[in-house]
Amino acid sequence: MKIENAKAQMRKGVLEYCILLVLDGKPLYASNIIQALKEAKLIVVEGTLYPLLTRLKNAGLLTYRWEESTQGPPRKYYELTESGRSFLGELERSWGELVEAVGTVKNNKA
Amino acid sequence: MKKTFTINISGTVFHIEEDAYDVLQKYLINLKNHFGNNEEGKEIIADIEARIAEIFSEKSVDKKMVVSIDMVNEIVEVMGTPEDFAEEEGEEEQPSSAESKRKRRLYRDPDHRVLGGVCGGLSAYFNMDPVILRIIFAVVILATSGAGLLAYLILWIAVPKAINTTQRLEMRGQEATVKNIEKSIKEEVAEVKESYKKFKESDTYSKGKKSMAGAGDVVYSGTKVLLRVIVIIIGVVLIISGFFGLLGIISSVAIGQSFVDGWPLIWSPEIHVPGIFNHFVEPGTVTFGLISIGLLTGLPLLALLFIGTKLVFNYKTNNAAIGLSMVALWLISLVALIVVSAGQVGNYKSQSSITDNSTISCDSCQTLYLKLGEDKYEDYAELDFDINDFKMMVVDGDEVMLGQPRLDVVKSGSNNFTINIKKASRGSSRENAKESAEDIIYNYEINDSTLLFDPYFILDDEGKWRDQDVDITIKVPEGKAIYLGEKMVKIIHDIENVSNTWDSDMVGKIWEMKPEGLTLKEVEN
Repeated sequence: MKIENAKAQMRKGVLEYCILLVLDGKPLYASNIIQALKEAKLIVVEGTLYPLLTRLKNAGLLTYRWEESTQGPPRKYYELTESGRSFLGELERSWGELVEAVGTVKNNKA
Repeated sequence: MKKTFTINISGTVFHIEEDAYDVLQKYLINLKNHFGNNEEGKEIIADIEARIAEIFSEKSVDKKMVVSIDMVNEIVEVMGTPEDFAEEEGEEEQPSSAESKRKRRLYRDPDHRVLGGVCGGLSAYFNMDPVILRIIFAVVILATSGAGLLAYLILWIAVPKAINTTQRLEMRGQEATVKNIEKSIKEEVAEVKESYKKFKESDTYSKGKKSMAGAGDVVYSGTKVLLRVIVIIIGVVLIISGFFGLLGIISSVAIGQSFVDGWPLIWSPEIHVPGIFNHFVEPGTVTFGLISIGLLTGLPLLALLFIGTKLVFNYKTNNAAIGLSMVALWLISLVALIVVSAGQVGNYKSQSSITDNSTISCDSCQTLYLKLGEDKYEDYAELDFDINDFKMMVVDGDEVMLGQPRLDVVKSGSNNFTINIKKASRGSSRENAKESAEDIIYNYEINDSTLLFDPYFILDDEGKWRDQDVDITIKVPEGKAIYLGEKMVKIIHDIENVSNTWDSDMVGKIWEMKPEGLTLKEVEN
């Protein structure tokens, strides 16, 4: 088992959660999301994001609207849908549980 | 100086250098193949293109700036290759299903071509072996006496040649995995580099040398083409001879088979063809032997066909394996045939006979009249089949095996006429031979002083030919005579007489048994 694989698996689950998290509250376009995720070192190449956005959108968790840009082509602004918000709530709860679970295991070991 | 193209990405116009354009195009094709051609894939590509356009716009603040290869490389680095996505996604999210559904397109395959690459392209399209398709094509062309060739030519003209990587991959459809694209792109690049290198090297050559080499090249490739044509002609000849030879063998084995099964196939339907062979050998061995013979003669022909197609179509096969198995099969059938024949010979190795003696009670007879009975088979269809005086007859749809008896006349030790009938046969053992001998049916009639012989002896219904013989010996006491009927010439065999008269001259006359032997008796009246 390669460490890259394990890491990628972990990151993959978290990635969707983080995209929803970044979008929570304010609509963003792809570059903003990429910036936020790059800062958090969650993604390396941008190409990873687009399939995820499309998948989330097709799953009904995200929606987008076109907005004209002063420089360059019009931009796609993504925002959470109603089900996206409740999905995010679920993920947040389960994230809390996971963090707690990992913490408990670590503490018990110590 | 560099050539630039004007391209439109996501609605924005850019100027791009030629080499940068190539890289970008390959990259986008790569992505398209990765994400598939469905709605979702298209949307992702559109998003990525929009992002690329955005990045280019950011970089080229000055509107006149040209996109360079460095910028494209940077884009590729930022956006990532499909391999990068796979890595980040944990390698399980390979949208292979989307890829495998990529639409295939029909191209001519320049890499696997004999003539125009039509069959190669078709075989890639239908995902089958090009050799099979070529053989089908060849057969169709032969069968339609050339009309198929027209179809080939039309396809040759109409179907485009797969030139670039995308087309070659499209030609194969499902094999267009990201890795394959990468691989073939790399191969292509290596090829281009190689030829570029060659070109550069040749540039350094002096002009004279170059033209010399050029002339040599022309001669070389001309000879090569000529050789290829000769090889193809030889191949075609081999194919044709192999094909028709095999056809002949297969049909003759099939007919031979029907021959054995008694199917009315060979002569005409009205005549029921008898299972002639079944009277000589066991039915199973007939089939077995025919198959062996078929293989013995067919395999070399098959090899001809194989070599011919190889010469013509120039495809790769495991020659050693095919050759060896053919040789092995051939040897096996040879051995099988020898074993079968030996087994058949075994059926004849022993001989046995039974003898039936009877005294003809005719005290008053001075002369015994020997006559041949009516040939009741004469009117029946007689097949041209004769072996050691045997005849095949068809009576009411049943085949009858008839043999001619042999009659001899000798001196009797007693005072009576005696008739001695010896039935002999061969067989695999003495018992077996004896059984066969007992199955021989031979009849004669006695009416006072006349003996009426059947012209034939008959083998039992299921009887097998085992070189059966019926020897009739008439023993004549001294002082008595026999009369040989005219027809008796058919069955009498080398009767000894004092005047050494030929059998054919002995008939129609009375012969008296004297102490020194049979003597012609002068006709008194």
